[in-house]
Amino acid sequence: MANSISEILGSAAAIAKGMSVTLKEMMSPTVTEDYPDAPAKFQERYRGVHVLQRDEAGLEKCVACFLCAAACPSNCIYIEADENTEKKRISGGERYASVYNIDYSRCIFCGFCVEACPTDAITHGHQFEIASYNTSTLIYRKEQMLVNIAPNVKAPALPVETTGGH
Amino acid sequence: MALVNVTINGVQVQAENGALLIEVAKQNGIEIPAFCYYEGMSLQAACRMCLVEVEKAPKLMAGCTLPVAEGMVVRTESEPVVKARKTTLEFLLSNHPLDCPVCDKGGECELQDMTFKYGVGESRFTEIKQHVPEKQWSPVVFYDAPRCILCYRCVRVCNEGMGVGALGVSYRGVNAEIIPSNGDHLECDECGSCIDICPVGSLTSGIYRYKTRPWEMEHVGTVCTHCSNGCKTTLGVRNNEIVRGNNRDKSGINGEFLCVKGRYAFDFTQHPERLQTPLIRNAAGELEEASWSRALKLVAEKFKALAGPDFGVIGSTRTTNEENYLLQKFARTALGTASIDHHRTGDVVTLIDSLSGKTGQLATAEDLYTSKAVLVVASDLSQQQPLLANKIRANVRHHKAAVYTVTPGPVREDKIARKAIRIAEADSLAGVEQLREALSKEAELVIIYGDAIQGEKVRQLVAFGESLGIPVKYVALVDYANSRGALDMGLLPDLGPGYHATAPGRSLQQMLDDPKLAALWVVGSNPLKGGKSLASTNAFVVVQDLFLTETAQRADVVLPAASAYEKNGTVTNVCGQVQRLKKGIETVGSKADLAIIGLLARGMGVNLGKVDADAIFAEIAASVPGYNQLPMPVILTGGAVQTHPVNGGVPPSSVPGIIASARDTLFTTGSLTRYSKILNEVLEKPGALYS
Amino acid sequence: MKLFNEPSPLETKIISFRFGLENSASIDTYLAHDGYKALRKALEISPDDIINELKASNLRGRGGAGFPTGMKWSFVPRASEKPKYIVVNADESEPGTCKDRLLIQHDPHQLIEGCLIGALAVGAKKGWIYIRGEYNYLIHIMDKAIAEAYKNGYLGKNICGTDFEFDLYTHTGAGAYECGEESALLESLEGKRGVPRIRPPFPAISGAFQSPTLLNNVETFSSVPAILRMGGQAYADLGVPRSGGTRLVCMSGHVNKPGVYEVPLGFPLMKFVNEIGGGVWKGRALKAIIPGGSSSPLLKAEECDIPMDYDSIAKAGSMLGSGGLMVMDETTDMVKVALRIMRFYQHESCGWCIPCREGTTWLKKMLQRVSDGHGQTRDIDLIGDLAQNMMGRTFCPLGDAAAMPTIAIVKKYRNEFEEYVARNPFASPELVSIA
Repeated sequence: MANSISEILGSAAAIAKGMSVTLKEMMSPTVTEDYPDAPAKFQERYRGVHVLQRDEAGLEKCVACFLCAAACPSNCIYIEADENTEKKRISGGERYASVYNIDYSRCIFCGFCVEACPTDAITHGHQFEIASYNTSTLIYRKEQMLVNIAPNVKAPALPVETTGGH
Repeated sequence: MALVNVTINGVQVQAENGALLIEVAKQNGIEIPAFCYYEGMSLQAACRMCLVEVEKAPKLMAGCTLPVAEGMVVRTESEPVVKARKTTLEFLLSNHPLDCPVCDKGGECELQDMTFKYGVGESRFTEIKQHVPEKQWSPVVFYDAPRCILCYRCVRVCNEGMGVGALGVSYRGVNAEIIPSNGDHLECDECGSCIDICPVGSLTSGIYRYKTRPWEMEHVGTVCTHCSNGCKTTLGVRNNEIVRGNNRDKSGINGEFLCVKGRYAFDFTQHPERLQTPLIRNAAGELEEASWSRALKLVAEKFKALAGPDFGVIGSTRTTNEENYLLQKFARTALGTASIDHHRTGDVVTLIDSLSGKTGQLATAEDLYTSKAVLVVASDLSQQQPLLANKIRANVRHHKAAVYTVTPGPVREDKIARKAIRIAEADSLAGVEQLREALSKEAELVIIYGDAIQGEKVRQLVAFGESLGIPVKYVALVDYANSRGALDMGLLPDLGPGYHATAPGRSLQQMLDDPKLAALWVVGSNPLKGGKSLASTNAFVVVQDLFLTETAQRADVVLPAASAYEKNGTVTNVCGQVQRLKKGIETVGSKADLAIIGLLARGMGVNLGKVDADAIFAEIAASVPGYNQLPMPVILTGGAVQTHPVNGGVPPSSVPGIIASARDTLFTTGSLTRYSKILNEVLEKPGALYS
Repeated sequence: MKLFNEPSPLETKIISFRFGLENSASIDTYLAHDGYKALRKALEISPDDIINELKASNLRGRGGAGFPTGMKWSFVPRASEKPKYIVVNADESEPGTCKDRLLIQHDPHQLIEGCLIGALAVGAKKGWIYIRGEYNYLIHIMDKAIAEAYKNGYLGKNICGTDFEFDLYTHTGAGAYECGEESALLESLEGKRGVPRIRPPFPAISGAFQSPTLLNNVETFSSVPAILRMGGQAYADLGVPRSGGTRLVCMSGHVNKPGVYEVPLGFPLMKFVNEIGGGVWKGRALKAIIPGGSSSPLLKAEECDIPMDYDSIAKAGSMLGSGGLMVMDETTDMVKVALRIMRFYQHESCGWCIPCREGTTWLKKMLQRVSDGHGQTRDIDLIGDLAQNMMGRTFCPLGDAAAMPTIAIVKKYRNEFEEYVARNPFASPELVSIA
């Protein structure tokens, strides 16, 4: 008899102990994510789809130096360069990338391109939903990666000579 | 030359007395860094990178101007030397913009390399750098003064190397900068040597600017397709597009020399008027686009029907030896005609006949650099034969060679000539005779002659040379990239490959003038240029070319051909030096002439064996005298080998007026360069020979 | 012609004794005062004797480097088949120096006679006097004197009735300090850009138009007639061993009686300033002396008790140079002095070699910043370090000329630089060192 009483008490204690953990966890904030029902959260330095940055004047930071392409271990960056003119000014340097493609079917998101960039033009964004049934859509063009011009920046208009004072 | 003992970094080496320390060190595997020192050019000692420690000298000495002497003890890596280099680089970088990411030189910049190897990592200066806006001197030359380190290489290469002297230095101190001949723009040969030789990105090329980066290109070593000098050019190819031509590795007969055509005029390959599909004349008498299979079928049927003695074939001065050989073989065997010719621009045939039985009397390009004396007869070399002119200038500079000119007007070689004779081209031999006394005192001689000397005059000139009693070599000047190869391969109405007599046929002019001509097959040539017409109005004309030339407009079928940059094979330059073409790019829709001939043969049911450049070259090597003992490894690795044609002993027929140079200048070669955008842009005013 | 300073009784007038005479530049005055006597003597003796006389005189080049003149003359290969030339360096541009100007202004015939003797010694038939562009008025005086000499048979063919012939021309520069360097002067004379040449070969072997050339300063040539007249040994005895004769010293700056004075070599420096120059002006104390033009390192007041000869001044860490003596009183701001000197060299650097072209520029920028009150402590070391990095590494002596005074000022008056830096509220103490 005494045995069964202590068994009941023991079980109740065990349940209470177990439930206390459950209750405690019910009160604490959740760590799992509701993706895809809710947007995913990222660490600051998460390496997602690249973002091509602009400078304060709204000009593209990329000067088409090809160093990202040279650093890329999977050879997924393709660039064509062109020269800025006084009438048509795209980047801050003398040269800009007229074509800038990244092939995300090859990219391994290693971040070497970001490290190589001398002008901080290419960075990793947090976009990652790029799965596709058609690999040809995985080649991203410059227009897809370039940040929008901030609303408070007027149309880029800078003098051509900006190399002084380096 | 006496040898002296020199100790460099503790290692005793032997060197020629008086040799420059920087060269002695290099020969012994020790690098003394320098910017302004450039082999083959005058000394400058301006950059101070080559300072080394020499025992018993009160201060550091410039290695580039220091002749070695017995017992000299040199240290190139000691502490003061290393510090001096660092400070020199610090000074150099102090005003040099750090815009390497946008600079065209980034990746192949000597200042970058030196800074990596010898420099310091940080700048100690906080003041603002002096900035000067970039200037455009010509369509192809841009100058960025802040990047300039004032090594004067460009000034020297223009003055000494090219004999132009279009660059100089203006202002002084930190404001000193390179200035072009006409104050704000250049009027020069536009050769681009200054851009090439610039150790930094100060001088940039209008055509290559901001296009790509050095490591992004594929470098294809091939031979320039413009003039007959056969300069090796290394094409920078990216995405099936030629973006640059230079020869920085100094390989080939030309070293790093290239003229405006070799360096820039490759853009004809991308001209919008380039033919990319065959054209067939329709019932309405207009040329209309057609498929390759239809065009080839039509041509093969017609050729089969019209084959015979009235079939005319005009070959090219630009196609490869293999194509020329196969063309004449196909014409003589399958088409059964002896009427084969091409545009002849110099009398090589008579020269080879005059030298029959003798060997070693055909000069190479290298001979012009080493020979103690050179005689130029009736040619404006700097305009027509830029490499040969460059070799002569280098010879004068380095070996004090004696140069003599006999020309109808002023030429650039006059400036370096011991004696320059002004005489009409027709009287050139009388002018040469005036030099007899001076020439006979020379130890050896190379005679270069233009198209005014032909036929009997060639024999007289050779007789003159032989009577001097000194070793004499000859160069018969021709115009185009494979003019010499066309002759060697027997694109001639009376001579087959290797200058051996065959059954005679019509010459080029006779073909055009013969109203009975049944068919005319023109491969890479434009005989109707300048408003000429074909006497035979009914002749079936097939033209293979890159563009719709005057001749192609008359054709019944036009087949789009590939340029020399788009195929493999070999070409022979003006001095008979065989070099290999390497395919750099491909133009969609065009086919190499070799392939077209092969396809036509197949269409006609003719077996030509294996039609491929290597196989045909093997056949040439086996059957053409002069080409039979060429060392293949040299050719295959991009070298040049001189052929030794042996005349068959049958004097060639010599018809006056049959040989005529196109008299092109440095900026024109007719059929190709008129489609070069850049060449037409740099042309300030129409140049002329002897002006 | 009037002198701009009163002569001093302490002077030893050997080459300046005609200064101040009535019409001293005319040939008549010159002939009345021992003119062309030395030439007649030189015509009687052999070229070797002339050179030996010069060697005995211990005359050293008066342009700045102080190379023994007799030895320089003996280097010219008389046997060479090429023509020999005489070139006079009258491109007097060193700040603080104005002696050549007086020698041409007051006594041009003495210079012509010196050239003639030089021509006899080396077998030259042609000579040029290269006068700096700013000395435009001197060219007229010189041209007039040359015309007089031709008229009186001292130039042209059959000079003094002998078969000796010599033609002399004036040639003007465009105003570049660099052209005072002998090889740059020759480039400029040949009509090219005035940049120095690679040496060897020295001008004595391959100078003007690639021919042997005797190139000396105006004062050096002007001293030659006196040496031949009085004898080399007697001339040498005026000075001290290894520094023979007298020389013109151009005193300027904070003294009561600035001017050009001729004193024997070895004359005590302080005696020169105090007795000939009348002491520091306004009763102030002496701070420093630049003894030989702006390129010579300055001497602090306590270092100045030395005789003025090549060796003694070199021992004190400076140079006699071109004789441009500048006196500074106690109120002188040494940072401004360094900046002023560097501004000059920055402006005059020809741009040929990197250390000088960039070194002078960046030193000027930095000195300007320190002087404007934006200096940092590290700048003081950096200025000294940069000057040291230029020293001995440039193509020609201009770089050294800019570096030497800077090094000396930074070393000797560091406290003044520190005071400037201390006034900068944004000064930070960290040091950045190279390598």
